[in-house]
Order: sequence, then structure tokens, then C-alpha cells
Amino acid sequence: MHEKRYALVIDSRKCINCKACVVACRAENQVPLGYSRDWIGEEHRGTWPRLLAAFEPEQCHHCTNPSCVRVCPTSASFQRDDGIVLVNEQDCIGCRYCIIACPYDARFFREDKGVVEKCTFCSHRVSRGEAPACVETCPSKVRVFGDLTDPKGALQQLLAAREYRVKKPQTGNGPQIYYVL
Amino acid sequence: MPDVSVGRRRFIQIAGVGAAAATQIGCGRKPGAAGQKLEVPTTCELCPNKCSVIAVVEDGMIRKLNPNPENPKSRGMLCARGNAGLLQVYDPNRLKQPLIRAGARGGGKWRAVSWDEAFDYTGQKLSAIKEKYGPQGVLWSSTEAFAEIFFKNLGLAFGSPNIVRHPTLCLASVNLAYSMTYGTVPSFDLLNANYVIMAGANRFESFITPDTMDLIDSTMNRKTRLICLDPRFTITASKADEWYPVKPGTDLAFILAMLHVIVAEGRHDKEFVATYCQGFDRLAEHVKPYTPEWAEKETEIPAKDIARIAREFADAAPRAIFYAGRRSSWYQNDFQMRRGQAILNAIVGNWDREGGMAPNTKIALGEYLFLPWDDPQAPRIDEMDGVFPLAAKGDGAYLKLRENVLAGHPYPVKGWMVFKQDPVNALPEQAKTLRMIEQMDFVAAIDIQMSDTAWYADVVFPESTYLERTDPVEVLSGIWPVVVLRQRVINAVHDTRSCLEIVQGLAKRLGLSQYFDYTIEQWNDAAVKELPLDAPFEYLKKHGVFTPPGGPKYGATLNPEHRFVTKSGKIELYSERLQEAGHDPLPTYQPPLEPPAGRFRLVLGRKAFYTHANSTTNPWLFDFAPENRLWINPAAARSVGVADGDSVEVASRVGSVRLRAKVTQEIRPDCVFMLHGFGKLSPWLKRVYNRGGSDAAILETSWDKVSGNAALHETFVRVRKV
Repeated sequence: MHEKRYALVIDSRKCINCKACVVACRAENQVPLGYSRDWIGEEHRGTWPRLLAAFEPEQCHHCTNPSCVRVCPTSASFQRDDGIVLVNEQDCIGCRYCIIACPYDARFFREDKGVVEKCTFCSHRVSRGEAPACVETCPSKVRVFGDLTDPKGALQQLLAAREYRVKKPQTGNGPQIYYVL
Repeated sequence: MPDVSVGRRRFIQIAGVGAAAATQIGCGRKPGAAGQKLEVPTTCELCPNKCSVIAVVEDGMIRKLNPNPENPKSRGMLCARGNAGLLQVYDPNRLKQPLIRAGARGGGKWRAVSWDEAFDYTGQKLSAIKEKYGPQGVLWSSTEAFAEIFFKNLGLAFGSPNIVRHPTLCLASVNLAYSMTYGTVPSFDLLNANYVIMAGANRFESFITPDTMDLIDSTMNRKTRLICLDPRFTITASKADEWYPVKPGTDLAFILAMLHVIVAEGRHDKEFVATYCQGFDRLAEHVKPYTPEWAEKETEIPAKDIARIAREFADAAPRAIFYAGRRSSWYQNDFQMRRGQAILNAIVGNWDREGGMAPNTKIALGEYLFLPWDDPQAPRIDEMDGVFPLAAKGDGAYLKLRENVLAGHPYPVKGWMVFKQDPVNALPEQAKTLRMIEQMDFVAAIDIQMSDTAWYADVVFPESTYLERTDPVEVLSGIWPVVVLRQRVINAVHDTRSCLEIVQGLAKRLGLSQYFDYTIEQWNDAAVKELPLDAPFEYLKKHGVFTPPGGPKYGATLNPEHRFVTKSGKIELYSERLQEAGHDPLPTYQPPLEPPAGRFRLVLGRKAFYTHANSTTNPWLFDFAPENRLWINPAAARSVGVADGDSVEVASRVGSVRLRAKVTQEIRPDCVFMLHGFGKLSPWLKRVYNRGGSDAAILETSWDKVSGNAALHETFVRVRKV
């Protein structure tokens, strides 16, 4: 069996900023009130009546070379072989270096537990063969989750057919969310 | 697209979070067996769409709601509020036991009582009103719910003709316009359409349903052309191929000009019109004056674009749709505007065709045979027969009804039973609704939360939430109908009951038990017994949804022998029934009133993460819009000296509210907009109590002349910095 590499392909054009993914994540991961592990970036431009609005789902990019992992003094932030970046709560000392190191602003500090928290790609669901909660619930199916190493998988098919970009490639982090254009 | 700028989302400090922390799942009694993990299929209730969900239950607590892919309508989706629905169960501010008012109405003093005491007290009050004023002296109002039938039947068995449902605050004008044209209200096959016009409908923002999923898929993946008309730059507008900031109230001019072009150029489906429609010649004559050049002056949409859209629409037919929308009336001639749409759809021949409109197919359910009661004797208080003879009588006409109750005409109504509805926020002109409550001898509300209406009631009955009760099995009709079950996922967390149990408790005190002598299980067994399944109810319990095989069907009515349920048996472009009732038999344009100098037209809309006025308190939803703001165009804001974030007073002829301004390019300079569901009067709705402004407080009373539907865009307001 080949080694998996989980990633997301996101078609932001289909995003209608309905927040279903945000609430599904809050519910699935019991995210404390007032925080979100995923969110929708908004851009509104133009002058009446020539206007543009665009929406873009955001969360941890599960980078191939994650700066959050590099700066963690206790190795609480770590990356699994399948690419998923996680925080081991037992080892997290709440120093928050990782929050500063993340180019995507994808982490937050949980006051109640004294640890840093972030998107896990719903690794507990993935291990059961299910899609992350945000992926499953989306009414317009903006996100496609899968194994990037599978040549016949949905991700490779999409990336072969469509142009795409990643965010902030200059950081060298190797982000693994591909936004198709 | 450039990088989207994003704030540090998760650090936003949201007012009230401290207090809200207690609402995290984990509080509350834990019913059910320990150590068990269950997945229970059921049906969402956060909007009327009824998506199928699977509730994940651990140790008797609902942990998560997942979409149920077995439902071909909702497929694998659950919207924001659908995901947040489980917090209804664990809301510390929900209604937990029956309450009887202890002080003045609206004073907030309550006495927690037993169910028996609440039933006895209510029974005495209703009986006293019946004794003094007759059974017509009690009004029964409710909104859409699977269990609404029980409540409505209690009102009828009580002997009252005064049952008022939600359609005249919703889509009565759409339903009536399509019924008067086709004899039925069709569905729109957005998944397979190639050309879609949405005028006012905001399907990517206001309401997330299968239509939303279908349209985003067809628009983005199949390049369906989407034309959007809206005075605001909505999310639907942002995704459309073309957006026209139409002058409010002029949609019918756009439609009539489209008809003009299509007829003048012979682009209609001549064979379809000849076979299935009647009145085409009169229509052709009628639309002659409505040129695109004329319409440009009304709508502010260029004539050349109107003409081009008309041609493209006709050429794309039958895979072309002028979408009916699913929202309230806007103007007093709303019915005629919807008729115009229905006629436009008819003459291009999209009826009962893939990618067009299709009559809803139904699945026949069995009926539990309960003992029938005598029909109410008195005429309706809203005088439906005389004023709105064509409208759906059983639904009533809410605003006309309120006028008559306040006038005591033609007779007094002194009792008000309310189920699941919040008339204080749902009806325009809140002050009048509050006066209507004041003049009642008795008001009772059945709800899951202390709505503003419940706050002013004398008795409040706590209903179990949709995850704590079993409801009547329902059919979702459509191009591909399904049967859905909403079953109890967990035992009631508090001392709450289902609608049927509450109705039965009341029926017993009113001497009407014989009409409600059944259980929900008996009702449902009777409903499903004819379904083509071995053990139908067991199947529904296991799957939550039953989908008959075969998929969507089109064309069953495309047979020259088919008789439409209209007077002529054909699709009525020209309507004799309308003429007989004193209305225009063909839609005639009436220009909207112009806002007087210094005033703006108030336009409304919805955000799909809130259900009307009801879920703005949900902890997982409220931070998406923690207060409502008044949208105002920068030019308009300058003219009244208002800057972004300023506190403003918004005043109409009937009231005023205060909220903060959102100065935005995304609205016409002659309109302002605010979201519904804020500025609540009930302190139990902690997050929105006295926060933002209630549109109901400033909307003026106005209705569509044919259907009686509330006309919600007829209010002009002044905006003043305070």
C-alpha cells in the first residue's frame, strides 16, 4: 500500500459564504464558542454598481514543510506520515510560537485548556474512512478532500483539468490546499 | 483572484461569549443509556425544506448532526443552521416547563406550573371566551410544521373558522399566481436549466436548499446563464453572469417587455401555446405597448439588455426558467407580477420539461381516520370570501385579519392560540400586533423558546424540540418526491411535550378528546401503510427517508387531453376568473410609489444561517451577524450625514428603531436594508434582546390586493444619525 498524502482542492467560485462548514467544524470538534478552526475569507470590491464579491474557505493548509512544527519547542506540533499536521495537547506548553509562525493564521490559543488548537482535517473521521465535517456538509461542494498521491483520485483529476494556485508559496511551507481557478 | 484578506477570525471578542460558554454541549440532564453510540436518521426543522440528517448520539447526548445522503433532495448537505440545530436542545434559555403569567402582560413575571394546571387554566379561559363570544372568538395561528395539522384541527374542532397560517406572510402571491395560471404550483428544475432569471430571489444567500445546490452546480459547472435582478448586490448577484440593480417595484415592467419582445418576434413556442394555453391573442394585444424602451425608463435596465435577455430566454427554452422565488410579497400588485412570470414561462413552453418547470409529483400517504367534527358556523373574521375570493381560504389573510380583530369587525375575537409562530416579529407594524394582544382576554403560545409573542402571552407551553419528538410522516413533493420521517432522537431533556400531546391535553379540557384519540405511532402507521415496502415504518425509522425508484419524471401532463385545474382546463394566459373577481385578467403595470424627498425604500431579505426571526440566538450562528445594521449606499449616507458604524434612527410612519449603519456600495442609493430577527422584546432571547432593530417595528401595513399577502417593500423611512 502506498503512503497517503491528504490534501484539499477548493473551488472558491462555488463558495456562497453560507457558513455550513464553519458550524459543522464547531459541532464536530466541539470548538469553544467564539473561535473557528475554519472560516470564509471575504473580499468586496468596486463602486456602485460595478461590484465584485468573492469568498474563500480557509483553514490549516497542512503544509509539507510546516513552520509551526519547526518552531515548536516540545514537538507538540507534529506531522503525520499522511501529511496531517496535529497538536499533541499533552505536550503543548502554550508558548504560542506556532501561532506566530503560521503564515495562514490557522491556529488559536485555547484559554480553558492552555493549549493551541487548529484544524485536524478531522483525522478521527478520516481514520474511519469519512470525509472531514466541512467537506461533507458543504451545500455547494466547494471542498474536495482526498489522497494527493493517488493518480486516479479526485484530487489529481481536478488538478490535471484545472489551473490552480496555492497561497503564499514564497514562505516555503508547501501548503496543501489547492485553490482551483 | 488576489488573496482574500482575512482578519484574525478566531480572536474576535464577541460580546456575550462569557455568558454563552455555559451553552456548550455538556450541560443538561443526560437521558438515554450510558456508553451507547447511536446514529439516528431524522429530519431537520430549521427551515421548511426538511433535509435528512443523521444524529450522532453518545451517552444520550446529541453530539453531531450529519447530512443523510440517502435523501435525493438534500443529498449530502446540511447548511449552517441545520448543523447548529442541536443547540436548540441544549439552550439554557429555552422553555423548560409550562408557565403562567404572574404579573402584567410582558412584565416578565412567570409561575412555573404543572402541565395539568396549564391545561386546566387554558381550558377554562378558552371555554369562557367560547361561552361569551362563540367559538369564532378564538384565533388559532401557526406556522409551517409537520405537526401543524394537529393544532389546526384543534382550532377547527373547537368550532373556530379563524385559523390563520403563514402563507400570507410568505409566498401566497406566488402560489396563487401559478394556481390561477396552471391550476397548480410547479417546481423549477434548476439542475437542468440552461438559462435562469432570478428577480429578487436570492437563492445563494437567503435560503440553502436543493435549489441552491442545483443552481450553483449548473451555474459553475455547466455554465448555465444566470441573470439576477436585485436592488442589492446579493451573493446571488455576485455569482450571476449579469446583475441589474433594478429599480424596486418595477419587475413587472421588465417581464412585460420580455413578453413584448418574445411575442413581437414570434419567439414563443407556437405549438405549445396553441395546444395548451388559452388567451394568447389577448396577451399579444395587451403587451404591445410594453416596449423595452418603455421598460428601460421604469426599471433602469437598458432596453437593449431587456430585448437581448428576452431573446436569449426564449431561445434557451424549454431549458429556461424565470424563477418564481420563494419569498414574501413586495408590493400591492405582487400577484400580478408573479402572474407575469408564470405567463412568460408558459409561452416559451418550458412547462413539464427537463430544465424547465414541472408540476409537483406527490406520493399518496394514508390517513388516520379520526372522528370528524362539524364545520365551524361563523364566517371568517378576515372576510376572505368577500375581500380575497380567489385566495386559499383555509390559510387566512393575516394583515386583514389583524385589522378586523382590532376593529372588532364583524365580531369580537378575544382569544389567541399561537403555535410555533412569532407574530410580533413576523407581521409588519409591531405596535398593531401588540395592540391586538392587548385587546385579547387570553393568549397562549406553544414554542421551544420565549419568543416575543410568548413573552406577551398569558400561558406558555414548552414544546419539545425537533430532536426530542416524533412528528407526522411527511411527503416532500417535487419533481422527485420523497417521504421523510422526523423521529425522536433522544428523550426530552426538560419537561416538554410534542404538539400532539399539547393538543390532546387541551382537547381533554375542552371536551374534544374524541377527535384526538390516537397516538403519533397510529397516525404514522396509517400514513405509511400503503408505501411499496414490506415494513414501511421500520424502513423509515432505519433510513429516515424513502425515495421511490425511478428518479425525476417529466412530461406526464404534455398530452393534449390533459385538463389543467383551471376554469378553461388550459393554461390561462388570460384569466376570466380574475376578471370576474374584479382584477386585471392580464397583468397590468402600475408604477411603484416614489420615495418622498429625504426618505428611502426599506427592502428586506434573509441570511440562510438565521431562520426568519428565530435562530439569531443560536451560539454557533450568532457571531456571523451579532447585530443587524442598516445598509445604506455611501451617496445616500452622505446626504443624511451618516458614516459607517454610526448609530442611526430609522423611522417610518408607524415606528422607529435604532441600529448602526453599514455604509456599503452593495445597495442602491434609494433603498436601505436591514436583516430580520433583531431588536427583540423578550429578555429570554439574550443575544438579540434589545440588540439591533426589529424590521417589524417600522414596516407599514400593506398587502397584495389579490392574495392578501403582506407587501413588505411599501415602506419609506427617514434615516437620522443619533
